[in-house]
Amino acid sequence: MRMKILACVTLVVLTTMALAPATPHKAGGTVTGKVTYTGTPPKMKPIDMAKEPSCAKQHATPVMNESVVTGSGNTLGDVVVYISAGGEAGAAPAQGVEFDQKGCQYIPHVLAMQAGQQLTIKNDDQTSHNIHPMSKVNPEWNKSQPPGAPPIQVKYEKPEFIPVKCNVHPWMHGYFAVLNTSHSAVTGADGSFSLTGLPPGKYTVTAWQERFGTQSQEVTITGNETAKLDFVLKATEY
Amino acid sequence: MSRDARRIASLAGLGIVFSIISAAGVRAQGNNGLPREGQGQDNKIIKNVGRPAVGKVEYVRYCVGCHGDHGDGQGENTPWIEPKPRDFTLAVFKCRSTPSGTLPTDQDLMNTIRRGIVHSNMPEWRPLPDQMIADILSYIKTFSPRWKTEQPGTPVVVPAETPVTMESILAGRAMFQKFECWKCHGPEGRGNGPSASGMTDSKDQPIQPLDFTTSDRFKCGTTNADLYRIFMTGLDGTPMASFSDNIKGDAGWDLVHYLRTMQPMRTPEATIWKAWLATHAGELKPIGDQTGQ
Amino acid sequence: MRSTKGMCGAQWLSACALAVGASLLSVSTASATVTRHSDSTITLSQAAIDGRTARDAYRAYVASIQNNEPAATASYATMRVKRIPAFARKYGLRCSACHTAWPELNSFGQQFRDNGYQLKNERDTPISQSNAYFPITIRVTPQFHMERATKQLVDATPGDGESGQTEKTLTSHGFDLSGMDLWTAGTLWKNVSFVALLSSDNFASFHFEAVNLRFDNLGDNPWLNLKVGKFELDNLISEKRFLFLSDNGGSYATYHFSAPGSSVDFGVGDNQLGAELSGHSLNSYTRYSAAVLSSNDGDPGSNNFSSYDANFNFSQAFDGGAMGVERIGAYAYVGQRPTSFQTSGGDAIAGSGTNRKTFYRAGFAGDFFLHKLEFLPFYLHGNDNAFLASGATPNEPLPDGARDASWNGGFLETHYYINQQLVLTQRVEAIRMSQQAFSSMPSTLGNVDAYSFGTRWYPFMYSRAGLAVHGEYSLMKTVSPGQTAEEGSTVNIWTSSLLFALDFDF
Repeated sequence: MRMKILACVTLVVLTTMALAPATPHKAGGTVTGKVTYTGTPPKMKPIDMAKEPSCAKQHATPVMNESVVTGSGNTLGDVVVYISAGGEAGAAPAQGVEFDQKGCQYIPHVLAMQAGQQLTIKNDDQTSHNIHPMSKVNPEWNKSQPPGAPPIQVKYEKPEFIPVKCNVHPWMHGYFAVLNTSHSAVTGADGSFSLTGLPPGKYTVTAWQERFGTQSQEVTITGNETAKLDFVLKATEY
Repeated sequence: MSRDARRIASLAGLGIVFSIISAAGVRAQGNNGLPREGQGQDNKIIKNVGRPAVGKVEYVRYCVGCHGDHGDGQGENTPWIEPKPRDFTLAVFKCRSTPSGTLPTDQDLMNTIRRGIVHSNMPEWRPLPDQMIADILSYIKTFSPRWKTEQPGTPVVVPAETPVTMESILAGRAMFQKFECWKCHGPEGRGNGPSASGMTDSKDQPIQPLDFTTSDRFKCGTTNADLYRIFMTGLDGTPMASFSDNIKGDAGWDLVHYLRTMQPMRTPEATIWKAWLATHAGELKPIGDQTGQ
Repeated sequence: MRSTKGMCGAQWLSACALAVGASLLSVSTASATVTRHSDSTITLSQAAIDGRTARDAYRAYVASIQNNEPAATASYATMRVKRIPAFARKYGLRCSACHTAWPELNSFGQQFRDNGYQLKNERDTPISQSNAYFPITIRVTPQFHMERATKQLVDATPGDGESGQTEKTLTSHGFDLSGMDLWTAGTLWKNVSFVALLSSDNFASFHFEAVNLRFDNLGDNPWLNLKVGKFELDNLISEKRFLFLSDNGGSYATYHFSAPGSSVDFGVGDNQLGAELSGHSLNSYTRYSAAVLSSNDGDPGSNNFSSYDANFNFSQAFDGGAMGVERIGAYAYVGQRPTSFQTSGGDAIAGSGTNRKTFYRAGFAGDFFLHKLEFLPFYLHGNDNAFLASGATPNEPLPDGARDASWNGGFLETHYYINQQLVLTQRVEAIRMSQQAFSSMPSTLGNVDAYSFGTRWYPFMYSRAGLAVHGEYSLMKTVSPGQTAEEGSTVNIWTSSLLFALDFDF
């Protein structure tokens, strides 16, 4: 009798499990990979911050120009990898992104965001900066931000790669990568990226580096698998 | 008859002589040494509806030599002009009453056209009738799609001007220091600050900060209210930023009053400032890097 | 109007080929018979010699016409140019920015000129320009033209001077040159402007058409500007910057009219020597000028009579909305000429004149736009004192029966701007004597009727140089003294010009 009850319970449990929808630990597929380069990248030069002593003294050794960030094994950092085609864009995430000015540098150097996503710009330095994103598709604006001023809140509505500069400190430059998608990643110095939560479908994945241009590849996601995609950008010295 | 004629001729001659003598002593009409505005036209409201097809004909007559057939600032004269003519396709304008990043109002554009831009090749198109300017503006707006999708910004509120006092000027001087205007404009406003050299505008053309000490007019106006608007809205397309997040209301007038003291004209601000300096100059901390003081 | 492309094309080349073979009657003949208003300095000296009666004055007038005295000021040979590509080069503006159809100014060009050829952008002084910029301009007009005059006196038998005279219509045509204007204008310094204009006739014989210096914006005030030298009077409708070029149509008859027999040598279209105080509102909608001028009709030298004239001009413009800028003005010129001189051996000594008598010219003018149509009305009332009108001998009393001469004249000129590179023009003009110097003179003597029309096509319009392809026809009727019948009669002499010209300007 006990065996019969056990068998029924097991059968019910197994059936329930088979019929119940699977609660995924991670929904959707993933595209992951590494960005590397071939050829010879330009040598980055140290930045002279003598004109801004309050920033210069924050760096024990001078910081390097961040136009090209490389790692061991020819990896490429600060590369924006994103879904440029396929799938639906969806609404911008409620969570905003942050852009900071510290030590007379932009942190991060390249900031990816979705069009319509809230962008907060802070000044953590002892000196005034002016934020001057040089957009051509979105309206161009230029605002001063003294130390202690409240953060600047802004939203960009159209996709565009926008160079950002400070006119007071001409060595400062960064990028806003305003994208049509929330699926994006900015590589670290190790060149690795991971785009998660992709519904099934055919996608074009694009890698963008501020000097070396773009490269696109196609990938198809059918379920929750992890697709591996590597990019090799051609480095130029100039 | 001949006696009358002789009288007329000699009166005319005397009139000319007296006019020369009095003209030598005549100062600009009641404007504290500042250049005059254009007979009130600069502040008129545009009521006319512009007609782009008519405006195109007038644009070709007056504007195309510099601003180009496509409104992109690539006219036939552009290679020889410094600063370069405005590129209308970007809808980015220096002289506005609206916040940075927003479109200017029709009144802003009319003011620029009528007033011209000093130290540039943009003439003062004062005689053009309102309707003609409205027509030209409506044609210029066809060069950029932004005019179809955006409205002009809400003009910056310019409060009533506060009295010109030494307190106001000193407060303005403190702002000049605090907001680091001197980093571009220089401690004396000569346009020679530490960040001034190598500056470029948004089209990568060389540009210099204003030298207050040799300018009796600004590119975007001549009055105190114009000056207030300039640093509140910023000059889009140039390194000059908007300070409206950080300078509010009447505080802006303090900065205006201080900036006037740096200019070459004899203004009330300059008069008060010079008189005070004669006895109090030692009290001032020099503008600039004050971290060591 | 005929197609302007055809004007320069093959059809006219073939017609001209025939004309080239034909002999060219001297153009001076045609122009002399055209100019009814001869230079009266000549008349004066003749009058000084002859014992004068009314009849003598009359005859002297007729003789001056028959002797083909060249007119110093009214002939087409003196170019009227005021259009400077050098300005376009300096400031980077197209010609059309300042000119409705060059050389006529539009309202912006008027403001530029009133400012002393300055844009007032702190880049007006020469130091702001490249060292290589030199403000020099030339304008000259190769052309083909045909002149015709009716009722010209010729020998009844050609070659036989004793055969008596008959009247015949004479025609001449051929290729020709206009005079040339060579000039420079601009600024010496901020608010110090200058003009130096050398003008030549068709034979490159130059004279000073205008040389003046102007102190602009005295006291930083646009209402005070002082110009000294030889300059054009501040006429609302400028004859120097208008759109007609032919022998007959290339000047306003009203601007140069001289009453029959009058010794007054003045025309409001002649450049004068003197000093002018002028002023304008910032947009030049309101303008005034008051000038003191020497009584020598602009001829430099010692022959200035130690006497002065005065000229006044005022105009006001209005914003005409969609139609354009509308302007109306009034003017008055009050002049005097001496009637007594010191003499030596019976000959008058120039510059020693006294006993001045006056003359005046006054009236109003307008410039009205109706979209692409422009109307330029002009009215003049002229009056010469009896001493001057009768051409009386200096140092002699007034002839019996001499009266003031007075007349009314005017024109209505119309332009139609098809676009900024094509304009059609026409003009109707009339002058009517209202009182002759002597009651025995026919009341209509000297009356003028003129009609002109034309077209100008600008093949290119940019910021460096200019070319206008010009076509014009002009017809004038002048009531002249009868030449074969008894004295006291008149004859209507018709003169006409047909002109095809390439008017270029660098």
